Amino acid sequence: MISEEKLKILTESAKYDVSCSSSGSGRKNGGGMGNGFAAGCCHSFTPDGRCISLLKILLSNDCIFRCKYCPSRADADVPRTTATPEEICGLVMDFYKRNYIEGLFLSSAVHISPDHTMEQLLLTVKKLRTEYRFFGYIHLKGIPHADESLVREAAKYADRMSYNIELPSERSLKLLAPQKSKESVLAPMRQLQREAKIFKEEGRKGHFLPAGQTTQMIIGASPEPDGQILRLTESLYRKTGLKRVYYSSYVPVVHDSLLPDVAAGAMREHRLYQADWLLRFYGFSVEEIVEEDGNLSLEHDPKCSWALRNLHLFPVEVNTAPLEMLLRVPGIGARSAYKIMEARKYTRLTFDDLKKMKIAMKNARHFITAGGKYCGGASMRGWLAPAERTGVQMSIFEYQAAQSALTGEL
Amino acid sequence: MIYFYDGSKEAFLTAFLIAFSDDDAVLTSGNKQIGLGQQTVFVRADKARARRAEERFLQLDKKSMHDLDTLLRSGAENKDTVAYQYMKMIAARGMPVREMLAEDAICAAAECMRRVGFEVHRMLGFLRFIESASGALYAPVSPDNDICDLLVPHFRARLPEYPFLIHDVKRKKAAVYDGKNTFTAPLASAEVVLSADEAAWQNLWKQYYRSVNIPSRERLRQMRGYMPVRYWKFMPEKSP
Repeated sequence: MISEEKLKILTESAKYDVSCSSSGSGRKNGGGMGNGFAAGCCHSFTPDGRCISLLKILLSNDCIFRCKYCPSRADADVPRTTATPEEICGLVMDFYKRNYIEGLFLSSAVHISPDHTMEQLLLTVKKLRTEYRFFGYIHLKGIPHADESLVREAAKYADRMSYNIELPSERSLKLLAPQKSKESVLAPMRQLQREAKIFKEEGRKGHFLPAGQTTQMIIGASPEPDGQILRLTESLYRKTGLKRVYYSSYVPVVHDSLLPDVAAGAMREHRLYQADWLLRFYGFSVEEIVEEDGNLSLEHDPKCSWALRNLHLFPVEVNTAPLEMLLRVPGIGARSAYKIMEARKYTRLTFDDLKKMKIAMKNARHFITAGGKYCGGASMRGWLAPAERTGVQMSIFEYQAAQSALTGEL
Repeated sequence: MIYFYDGSKEAFLTAFLIAFSDDDAVLTSGNKQIGLGQQTVFVRADKARARRAEERFLQLDKKSMHDLDTLLRSGAENKDTVAYQYMKMIAARGMPVREMLAEDAICAAAECMRRVGFEVHRMLGFLRFIESASGALYAPVSPDNDICDLLVPHFRARLPEYPFLIHDVKRKKAAVYDGKNTFTAPLASAEVVLSADEAAWQNLWKQYYRSVNIPSRERLRQMRGYMPVRYWKFMPEKSP
């Protein structure tokens, strides 16, 4: 059994990774413990409001890299430890059995060398699948610069793999994570995309990353605007076939003259996720959401901002508007849109009906008519034109500006 | 007229047939305040009549019995009325009605079913097994709705080698998987002898829970929204 101290060190070094999703894999139990639960499952929530779905842990926090923002970077004075594959496997099995977790999210600092680290990660997941007969969810972090064959082998055992882009531009990466390069992250992503395609086309037996690939970017540690970040995101979804892009608002755990001293606003992170959802589920393209050198409004959500720029398309009649248009109404989410589609088959919907159906009308009423009746109106002007408050883009050299982004309460 | 029944599906369907032509019918399986002058009837399940009603409902809507089962599991006080109005609507329209969300009765039923389904989903995550000395797993729960047997297939599929018992301590019943079969049984209280390592694993889990949190980003309201306090009772990470 792993010691509490070791668990503490390896967890605290892993906790800034945001991804914790356990969805997308329907792996069956093949006589052992566990299976995939395609809908995903949250097992607990921590006081920071995040869910615990997977056991998120590093195999080692003993790193040879010197990424400026990272608490485990080589020149940091922190306690170092490395777990054995057996310790990790034991932890997963006994946590899983008690229904504490949905699976494992295994990552590691670059210990000794990229190849050595990737070998140890591979060894752990292989052991877990073959010796321990574990069929639950495994998310494996890929190590940049590791050998292609190790990556290919790991993909046979993991449900999902991810390479972290970390910073949204090559320039920032050079500055803050000098030993990583855009190519060292993108090359294995493309390799996995290619091989997953071949695996599917040839109809081979077994699994090859059933839950696909994801990545993560740190927001607010470097000066890229939202427009640039979201363009990168869109290309990752469309060209590299990623399932998710995670954004992690920067938390200053490390002090360095190249890094801001304050945390990036939670609101900015929230707006990026909203925009991300619009790209994936609401049929928006990034050009509709934000200009390349622009930032998302902190005042209104991105869908609302889009609607305000396109007032000529509104109001739409809820009884006749096509689904694509309903999805574009601020305040109407996917669930509400489908409810409206169902209910209007049987009756002509009024505002009272919408209220009864628990459709959030606070924003939506300004953009719709129900049975020809408009319910926005009087307060619309004031609501549309709030006091001039613009989101301030944090620059890594402008601490004054960064101060105002504290906690996102602008 | 107020129609009392025992909360079972059969008794509900029997009561449904009896009450059908009564415009002021109220069905109830709980404690109901009876107003002065109100008449009451106690309906006992009649197998033949219940089966007849069931067959008819299935002709009108294949999923109607599944919906009824879900509604009767609800812990909401007005669940009998909600179920009655919903089933009455199916009978009146002679077809599936679940999409007519602008109707009060359907809206109420949809909300009620959503709550039951959502709690099942939540419990799949929040339930905690305790390992007993024999290796069998024990999980106490006290859900809002009567759902402990609905949790069994999920755990049976992922833990086929471990017998387990999910104990609804509020309703004093248990859903059991004995390693081969599943069944439910009344169970008032249970005494569990912990396995040698159980306490140590619980401590490791508590340690993990403390370590994975980012204290500088405290959002307690959000945590409680996702994981309401009433579910904390049997979670080791939330007990002192």
